[in-house]
Amino acid sequence: MKIGVYFCHCGSNISDKINPDKVKDVIERVDEVAYFDTVDFMCGEEGKEEVEAGIKENQPDRIVIAACSPRDHENTFRKVCIRAGLNPYLMQMVNIREHIAWVTADSDKAVAKANAYIKAAIARVKLHEPLEKEELEILPNVLVIGAGPAGLKTSLSLAEAGRKVTLVEKSPLIGGLPVSFDEVFPNLECGPCMLEPILDEVLHGEVSENIEILTLSEIEDVAGYFGNFIVKVRQKPRYINLDKCIGCGECIGPCPVSTDNEFNYNLDKRKAIAMPFLGALPNAPFIDDKICLRSAGYWGQGCVFCRNACPVPEAVNYDDVEKIHEKKVGAIVLAVGSDTYDVKKIPELQYGKQPDVYTSLEFERILTPTGPTEGVINTMEGEAPKTAAIVHCVGSLDKNHMDYCSAICCQSAFKYNKLISKHHPETKIVHFYKELSLAGKEEFFLYNQVRGNPNTSFVRYKDITDLHIKTKGGKQIIEYKNSHQKNDKVNADLVILCPALVPSKEIDKLNQLLDTTVDHFGFFEELHSRIDSVQTKIRGIYIAGTCQAPVDIQKTMNQGMAASGYILSSLVEGRKIEIDPIKAWVDQDICAACGVCGTVCPYKAISFNEKTARSYVNKVLCHGCGTCVAACPVGAIIGNHFTNDAIYAEIEEVLA
Amino acid sequence: MISQSGFEPKIIGFLCNWCSYAGADQAGTMQNPYPPNVNVIRVMCTGRIDPQFVLKAYDKGADGVLILGCHPGNCHYKEGNYRAVQRYSILLRVLKQFGIEEKRCRFDYVSAGEGDKFVRIMNEMVETVKELGPLNNKN
Repeated sequence: MKIGVYFCHCGSNISDKINPDKVKDVIERVDEVAYFDTVDFMCGEEGKEEVEAGIKENQPDRIVIAACSPRDHENTFRKVCIRAGLNPYLMQMVNIREHIAWVTADSDKAVAKANAYIKAAIARVKLHEPLEKEELEILPNVLVIGAGPAGLKTSLSLAEAGRKVTLVEKSPLIGGLPVSFDEVFPNLECGPCMLEPILDEVLHGEVSENIEILTLSEIEDVAGYFGNFIVKVRQKPRYINLDKCIGCGECIGPCPVSTDNEFNYNLDKRKAIAMPFLGALPNAPFIDDKICLRSAGYWGQGCVFCRNACPVPEAVNYDDVEKIHEKKVGAIVLAVGSDTYDVKKIPELQYGKQPDVYTSLEFERILTPTGPTEGVINTMEGEAPKTAAIVHCVGSLDKNHMDYCSAICCQSAFKYNKLISKHHPETKIVHFYKELSLAGKEEFFLYNQVRGNPNTSFVRYKDITDLHIKTKGGKQIIEYKNSHQKNDKVNADLVILCPALVPSKEIDKLNQLLDTTVDHFGFFEELHSRIDSVQTKIRGIYIAGTCQAPVDIQKTMNQGMAASGYILSSLVEGRKIEIDPIKAWVDQDICAACGVCGTVCPYKAISFNEKTARSYVNKVLCHGCGTCVAACPVGAIIGNHFTNDAIYAEIEEVLA
Repeated sequence: MISQSGFEPKIIGFLCNWCSYAGADQAGTMQNPYPPNVNVIRVMCTGRIDPQFVLKAYDKGADGVLILGCHPGNCHYKEGNYRAVQRYSILLRVLKQFGIEEKRCRFDYVSAGEGDKFVRIMNEMVETVKELGPLNNKN
């Protein structure tokens, strides 16, 4: 074997401490070293050309480059190798600058150490195998789960780039929470109006053909990897033909059965055939087959009231059935949103027991003209509230509940203040808060207005259990201890609780299906919380909106766009994905079928083939960490480029 | 214990690429000298370190071994450092059976920004192994 050794002076950074001639004397005599060359600045253009010419001229089988850190320039010199016609993995770098020249006081010791390192690299590089990057075909299509603001933004921007998108939504409507809000902070803009242009584009716009919307649908199964996922989607029957329904709502009135209306948080009733609320899109009702008389079997097949009321033939379709859709996509975006904290876990607040205590989501619906009270803010007794209390930080910033700040509640609370005052200017409103969190250029907007309202006051509390909501003398009151531990009470005809945003149950389910990870709160975990917060640790699966963390609509939209950006830059139509060859693989002849490797792989890249009774590493999912290589008890797993033999050779030679 | 005069220990340092090797690079950039006794072997992740590498190092003449990885929670590969520290704790028991002192095998965390910590560990380890003396003398 013919080995070439290159020594970089790095100006004088290296050669001042490590005399190249002394190194040359030793290294030239090492077996199979064909030549030893020095270069002044190897990473400079001239230096690279010199090395390239040297390789072309001498035709070495392997080369060793003694220079700076491979973290700086391994890729630089791999490219030089490629240009010179040498497989880039037949090169080994030795870090004689950062690890020797710059940190060794004595010159002779530095020379001796450099010689040992270079000899170890020579021993190692002899064992290197030429490796090739592999290429894999990809599918440019994308599946987005959740049709709230994040999912809609991602879907629309991908569709605009010409991608086919499947948008999967569990509920019968798209738009997520903000379309059910009357006004959104900070500018008190109408929620549906704000989202309307996006919803319209997604449903009927120029690129809407690129988006397939599957409402009433959930993910059943996911297989595959970045570029090639196969997703099974289960879609419940809607019993309404969306292509035919004109959204007139004539069918709803005649329906003879009612149930609690979950779209208004059970504050009113809806029919078995229902629209979530007026204006919900797609503009078509759905039939709840759990209570519809036809499926419930009370009247057998008899009840046809809704179909008879419908002016369009075949828009109501009693024969609709559950469907399984199989989607082949290259990437998946998770935008399933979050839940709010169950305030019943804080019994002092008497939620569900006192008549006029609402959660923030319930109150959002009360504020809405399409909601249960048609926008009227009254007490249960039908009177305008003389007093109202808005409780911030319910379950947030609380070690007994959720540790974190939920980021959006303060602004929602001040929005409620503004809207109550708009309806009832005389109502006295008190804010109970633990902390006020209003960082940003627009976040103080509502707070400043509310501060100026003479009917608004603030009470800081220390612990949520210091607040007790009670009825005394026919009046709803809050007895409390403030942050100075002073006891007091206040009338509160109306109480609005602002609960923490918490991970939804969907996250748990999807996390198991997709092998992603969740953080210790239960939100989807980011690849990196600062620099890659829209990617999960599984390549090709992205997260946007409040399933990553509590965020407002602005950040949600930005995350939706970021997810599109990642997809458009990494999953390019017509371009294959390149797979780095520094990966692990299982020698099928040696594998003893114990399955240990699968349990230590952090990326679920190793699967066990029941038929062959052997483990198998998926090259796309493998990140090349080598944990499985070290774990295999029979040495059946080979870590490319970091093989046991290469590392043993390095150990042996550096100690020789 | 009095260190044996003139004894220069041979130490192998297994460093993960992303944190500890980068920390060693930072120590280099700081140009703060440390003893040259530690020979670094780069692996992508401490999770790659087979305990047999450590045994091989002692077998081939190392007087000490260092394993340096990312801090808990910072592993580039999510959890390779947890595997490494698990293996390390078992390895210590094996070393005991070989009559190799625990102090000859040190596991620590060095981040990419901890060049100074890397230098301190280099100095400490060399000092520790000097005090213990050559490994071969004991067996």
